[in-house]
Formats: sequence, structure tokens, C-alpha cells
Amino acid sequence: MIALYVVAVIAVFGVVRATLERNTGRKLPFVNVMNFAVAGALVLLLDHPLALVAAVAYFVGSTLEANAIASTYAGGDRRG
Amino acid sequence: MDDLLVVLFAVVALIGTVGVYLQRDRFNKLIAVGIIYGGVVPFIVDRGYLDVAIAVSLIIPITTIIMLPLCRRQDHDA
Amino acid sequence: MTPEFILGCIILIAGVIAAGFPREKTYLSRLINLEIPAFGLLLIMLAYDETLALMTFIGVTAISTFVLVRVIERRDAG
Repeated sequence: MIALYVVAVIAVFGVVRATLERNTGRKLPFVNVMNFAVAGALVLLLDHPLALVAAVAYFVGSTLEANAIASTYAGGDRRG
Repeated sequence: MDDLLVVLFAVVALIGTVGVYLQRDRFNKLIAVGIIYGGVVPFIVDRGYLDVAIAVSLIIPITTIIMLPLCRRQDHDA
Repeated sequence: MTPEFILGCIILIAGVIAAGFPREKTYLSRLINLEIPAFGLLLIMLAYDETLALMTFIGVTAISTFVLVRVIERRDAG
């Protein structure tokens, strides 16, 4: 039961560090910390088989979002 | 989900909300929207709507990805 | 008064203020701020136990964001 609180505190820590950080490139690793912590919390929150699928969907979606933002911020393939 | 967990995830969502309003850079605003998304999904799972949680987890990143070419275009013009 | 309802009301009001009076008066800033009341309304609908309303709202939010991005692109180009 203590694991859920530890994971939630890690999520809050990641959010505070990401918000206080000035540089956009250094903000993204702390957002990833929050994403991993929330994905862990989703599994621990409910004892149901579909909770695993929901956590996998959250993990895939948040990783895709963070990587898309990072790719666009770094320039990517600039069109035209 | 007891009171401490509710407070912790609500703090995550509220910090994201204040962050979207206070940031000026476009990418920082999009990152803060991602933080709100991380704070809202545990509440959906806690109510037991796992199918809604799966749908939200797959549609919200697509919404962000739709907005990204607009950020890049204005960056290219400026 | 479940915690979802209270958090949803706070995020909805903060998001309406942020979308109505953005700090940087560009279309993109308003569009990103418009994501905040969507999350607030999602949490309020979650407090009333309506699965189909949640699914429909998420889908319509994504489609309306797509339409608004197309409109802003055309406005900037022309």
C-alpha cells in the first residue's frame, strides 16, 4: 500500500521540477518522470485485469506525446 | 483512493493548469497540457471507467500531435 | 460533492479565464488554452457517471481541435 503513496509523491516531485525548470529541453525528462510515475499508479490503483491495458495505453500515449514535442522542438524535418 | 492520493493528483492537475496560463513559450504550454493529462487520468481510473481511460489515453496525444505542425510553422516564419 | 466535481469546477473556471484573457493574444495561445476547460468538463462529466457522454465529448474535442487548426492555418497563409 505504501508503494502507491511513493509513486504519487514521485509524480508531484517531477511536476514541480518540470514547472520550475526554465529550459524547455531540460523540462522534458522531468515530464517523463511524471509519466512513468502515473503509469505505475494506474496499475496499483485498481485490482482489475483491464487496469493493465489502461496503464499500457497511458504509457504509449504519453511517450508518443513527449517524443513528438521533443522532435518538433529540436527541429525535426523542416518542411519547405 | 483516499484523501492523500486525491490531494496529490489534484496538485499535479492544478500545477499543470497554472503552468499553461503562466508559460509564454508554445512548447512549454504544450508540455503543461501534458501535465494536466497526467493529473486527470488517475481520477478516471479510480472511478472504474477503464474503457474511458483507454480512449482518453489514446485520443489526447493525437490532439497534441495535431497542434504541433502549427507551432513549427510559426517558428519557421519568425 | 465528490472530489472529481470540485477539481473539475476549479479547472473549468481557471480554463475559461485563461482562454478568454490569454497572456499572449495569438490564435495559437488561445487554442492551447482551450484545452484546459475541456479537461475540467471531462472531470465534471466523470462525477455524473455518464460513460457515453464522456466518450462522445473526447471525440468531439479532438475533431474540433482539428477543425480549428485547419482554420488557423488557412488564416495565417492567406
